[in-house]
Amino acid sequence: MLEIRFHGRGGQGAVVATILLAKAFFRAGYYVQSFPLFGVERRGAPVEAYLRLDREEILIRTNSYTPDHVVVLDTTLLEAIDVTRGLKPTGWILLNAPAPPADSARFSNFRLAYVDATEIALRHELGTRTHPIVNTAMMGAFARVLGAPPMDAVEGAIEEEIPEKLEVNIEAAREAYERVSGITL
Amino acid sequence: MKRVLEGSHSVAEAVRLAKAEVIAAYPITPQTHIVERLSDFCADGSLNARYLRVESEHSAMAALIGASSAGVRTFTATSSQGLALMHEVLHWASGARLPIVLAEVNRALAPGWNIWTDQTDSLAQRDTGWIQLYCETGQEVLDTTLQAFRLAENVSLPVMVVLDAFYLSHTYEPVDVPDQEQVDRFLPPFTPRFMLDTERPCAFNQMAPPDVYMEMRRSIQEGMEEALGRFAEMEDEFKKIFGRSYGAVEPIACEDAEIILVTSGTMSSTCRQLVKELRSRGEKVGILKIKLFRPFPAESIRRRLKTARKAAVIDRNFSFGSGGIFAGEVKAALCDIPERPVVFSFIAGLGGRDVTVGDLENIYMQTKNHDVPQQESIWTGLRPASAPAPDLKR
Amino acid sequence: MSAQHKMKDSIPLFVPHSFRTTESNKTGSWRFLRPRYDEKTAPCSAACPAGEDIGRIEMLTARGLFKEAWETILKENPLPAACGRVCLRPCEKECNRREFDEGIGIRTMERFLADTAARYELKPSLERLSSQNRKMAVVGAGPAGLAAAYFLTRLGYGCDVFESAPEPGGVLRYGIPAYRLPVGVLRAEIEQICGTGFNLYCQKPVTKAFLEEIQSEYDAVFLGCGRSRGVALHIAGEEAGGVEDGLQFLQKVNRGEAPSFFNAQVAVIGGGNTAVDAARTVLRLGGRPLLVYRRRREDMPAFEEEISMALEEGVQLLELWSPLRIEGKGGQYLLTLQQMKTVDTSPGERARVEPVNPQTTQELRVLHVIKAVGLEAAEEWQNPPVAQEGVLLLTNSVIVRGSPVLAYGGDLASRIKSVSHAVASGKEAAIALDILFHKGPDHVLPGLETCRVGNGSSLSMEVYMRGPRCARNRHVVTFSEINTDHFQFAPKVAQPRLLREERVSSFAEIDLRISAGLAMKEAERCFNCGLCNQCDNCRLYCPDLAVVRDNGSGGRSIDYDYCKGCGICVVECPRNAMSLEKEAPPQSRRDRREEKL
Repeated sequence: MLEIRFHGRGGQGAVVATILLAKAFFRAGYYVQSFPLFGVERRGAPVEAYLRLDREEILIRTNSYTPDHVVVLDTTLLEAIDVTRGLKPTGWILLNAPAPPADSARFSNFRLAYVDATEIALRHELGTRTHPIVNTAMMGAFARVLGAPPMDAVEGAIEEEIPEKLEVNIEAAREAYERVSGITL
Repeated sequence: MKRVLEGSHSVAEAVRLAKAEVIAAYPITPQTHIVERLSDFCADGSLNARYLRVESEHSAMAALIGASSAGVRTFTATSSQGLALMHEVLHWASGARLPIVLAEVNRALAPGWNIWTDQTDSLAQRDTGWIQLYCETGQEVLDTTLQAFRLAENVSLPVMVVLDAFYLSHTYEPVDVPDQEQVDRFLPPFTPRFMLDTERPCAFNQMAPPDVYMEMRRSIQEGMEEALGRFAEMEDEFKKIFGRSYGAVEPIACEDAEIILVTSGTMSSTCRQLVKELRSRGEKVGILKIKLFRPFPAESIRRRLKTARKAAVIDRNFSFGSGGIFAGEVKAALCDIPERPVVFSFIAGLGGRDVTVGDLENIYMQTKNHDVPQQESIWTGLRPASAPAPDLKR
Repeated sequence: MSAQHKMKDSIPLFVPHSFRTTESNKTGSWRFLRPRYDEKTAPCSAACPAGEDIGRIEMLTARGLFKEAWETILKENPLPAACGRVCLRPCEKECNRREFDEGIGIRTMERFLADTAARYELKPSLERLSSQNRKMAVVGAGPAGLAAAYFLTRLGYGCDVFESAPEPGGVLRYGIPAYRLPVGVLRAEIEQICGTGFNLYCQKPVTKAFLEEIQSEYDAVFLGCGRSRGVALHIAGEEAGGVEDGLQFLQKVNRGEAPSFFNAQVAVIGGGNTAVDAARTVLRLGGRPLLVYRRRREDMPAFEEEISMALEEGVQLLELWSPLRIEGKGGQYLLTLQQMKTVDTSPGERARVEPVNPQTTQELRVLHVIKAVGLEAAEEWQNPPVAQEGVLLLTNSVIVRGSPVLAYGGDLASRIKSVSHAVASGKEAAIALDILFHKGPDHVLPGLETCRVGNGSSLSMEVYMRGPRCARNRHVVTFSEINTDHFQFAPKVAQPRLLREERVSSFAEIDLRISAGLAMKEAERCFNCGLCNQCDNCRLYCPDLAVVRDNGSGGRSIDYDYCKGCGICVVECPRNAMSLEKEAPPQSRRDRREEKL
């Protein structure tokens, strides 16, 4: 079983990103379970959402404490919270960033990848100028980093969840898939 | 078709498939997603129902009492304080023998203000004459909601479908959403046994003096007793059409079990994981999951538990001055049989505190390591008095 | 009452229900007290000299029925624009709401309605009786004369009004300063009244000789000449040139012949409304007015509000000083005053004063002196006669039988000299004359009695003409009869006014118009004492559903088959528009099954 944790800010789409990814993995034949941090939310405050996936039926229904990978939708969170909390060694940290952070060294226990999803979202006019929606781009990048889910499952999930802006979202996911870079620490 | 659905949306899908005709609700976290989705269905035409936005939960139930008395299929959803506010009219619905279906998302009662899961809200309504069904998975939530309509209409009693806050209501997982044609076969249109008719005015549920009231109450109990058997028949039918069934109680690896964990709701799932692990280590442990709480399936519980040495009832609820509510009911069911297990009562996960596989294993070990319970109710996972209180700022 | 349902494959179901009705129990036979709709009189109405149906006016205003409200005023008073500005407001002193929070701003509302009607050039639809074969003359187009002509015309008489001045209005036109009653407002109102259909002849001074000349042409003559001559001070130097009479001064200014005072000190002698008006007019013309009054401020007959506004504007007041003599000296006057003291101060009465002993005097140099210590008839024949055979002394008028009949009204015949009392005198004389002509002299007093409003002296034309509101009970509703559970505290609308600085620099009207929204809000505060305003409490509170809505005039009726006579409707009526009475003996009950309002 894999656990993936998403970090974002309230209103940024972290929960939807998790659901999208859950649907993509489900299409690829996995059992999935996704849920937000249980509690109250506030726009702009740090939020978390979780995804469990497995080839077998997932039995446990508890909070997630030791994720295998984390996805960070907003790099300003790196200063606010510890995104590596409970993260298993060698787990991926996928950042929405134009470049790796200056102090990347502090993530040396893990693997780091980044993609400028904000730029991609803005260019494809996803969301608004003030609030670009980056979750489809991040999902594309994630699919590349982890080698799963396959892109056709990603596209199917987008089609199911966001039928209104289907083409541009798929385009954003593909572009992020191509552009995501891993760095060696 | 299998879809990744939120638990709340599984309820809404079932209500849509059941073709409810009147929905009245007042929003409350963590129930809101259910009625939000239903109002979407009403707006986009996928459900041809009258959606009433009322001013309180009490009004929601009162409105459904009116609608149901007029002979239509009705639904509402609520949680916690909302259910408590409904209390008075809950009695009315069952007394009037109205087959109203209510989805109740378990949430702790305030204060302290808490939106997380805790079964005390629904269990506090156990004497209102409502049938109560507790759910474990998203699939079970959808299926149970469909079943609830049929059972309610079959025995003329209201049914509460109970699901844990967040662990079910806000969790997305794959759920098989049946076809309308299948559901129509399982659940025919509602034919009221009795209904208000403007063509033939009458007084309805008026004064019932002492020479009538006892018979009336007895008739409700007969309905409840009948519901036990009807539930099984209904599940057989359900299985024929949909290939799934749950049972009033579900025994898991109980045949040779020396210790049986008695659970309800989502904790049962995590227990399944634990039992899988314990069994692989050779432990003789099983689970008895209770789904049907009212009417209480005492006979099935006796049959499943009597061979075990010990039963550990895990309650995510508490009756002040008494103990865990499931534990109390289980003990009462067992007390008249000579060969019965020692019953341990554990309190865990109140107000949404997480109950992990490790926590459950502790419960198992405590049960295994003691011949008799150290306390009437054993509160697990309490923070030691010396530990610093957590930051409450959020 | 119960039914057991049995269906195939169904469990037994015990749901109590019954198809029988309880209507067969005619619970009304239990009744020994009987509620009924019984509209009563509001204290404001009883206190209004013109007997206006104020509770109804406010009710209609609250509903936004401004025309209907205005017409309700016009039934009793042709001069709402004038009275809405200058009436001394006896109604507001009696308002029951004063005991709850604050009374209703009745005058403000009257003015609002009149102004709204004028603004939209509304034409009233008022009942008018078919023409009578009699003709009336009215002498003086002041408020009394105009009211007499208005009411006589509505009673079907032909009327000719003779006025000596170039314009009608009398004291309203020439005596009251424009900052209290703008000329344009008055002109519009009089034009509206003339539309009733009488003839008005201005610049037609009526002399004794002219009166004799027209005797044969008219069946009755109404004399409303008013008081146009100032009362003398009876002190030395009073006749000196340049000592001006207060009323004449005001008339001069109102004619547009305003003198300028250029910061001159002006003494105004007197304490009545004329004195205060004169002082405030002097102020607006650039002078420095000093009011000289022999009693104390609280004894001044002028309206308290006018006095305090005058003082606020800068009028000086010298209390307890009485003029001894006036001497003209080189274009100035030397005024000698003696100090007074009070000798009897009973509450509610004007204090009696006498000179202090030993005599104390002071001298005052002023540029002008205006005296305004009282008014009287210009000529003796204008005064009504004293009691004698053939003379009927009524409340606000005097009727002298003869050919023609003479009716004296207005300030010369009323005890209280006010615009609304002048209106009352015109109405009283009109009704008295109508009774006299139709039924004879013996019927006048009892006839007037039947159209009294409540227990007071005012008369209602609506009642006299048997209009829909004539059935109201004469009982005057008291505060203790109001069920205040049904009212909430709400502040009275504040009368908006010009600022002091704006006031003293022009003759612009001081009181400003209120908005329709404010007027409706204020009208909603009215208890509508004794008046059914369709609040529906009687129906909502009836435990037997025995109050039934219907299309009758009252909107509701009581179904006495089921009315148990519990009296809840009467108690819950917020405004005492219902009564609870002893039930009639059983044999006569059948006839009274359905009683409607």
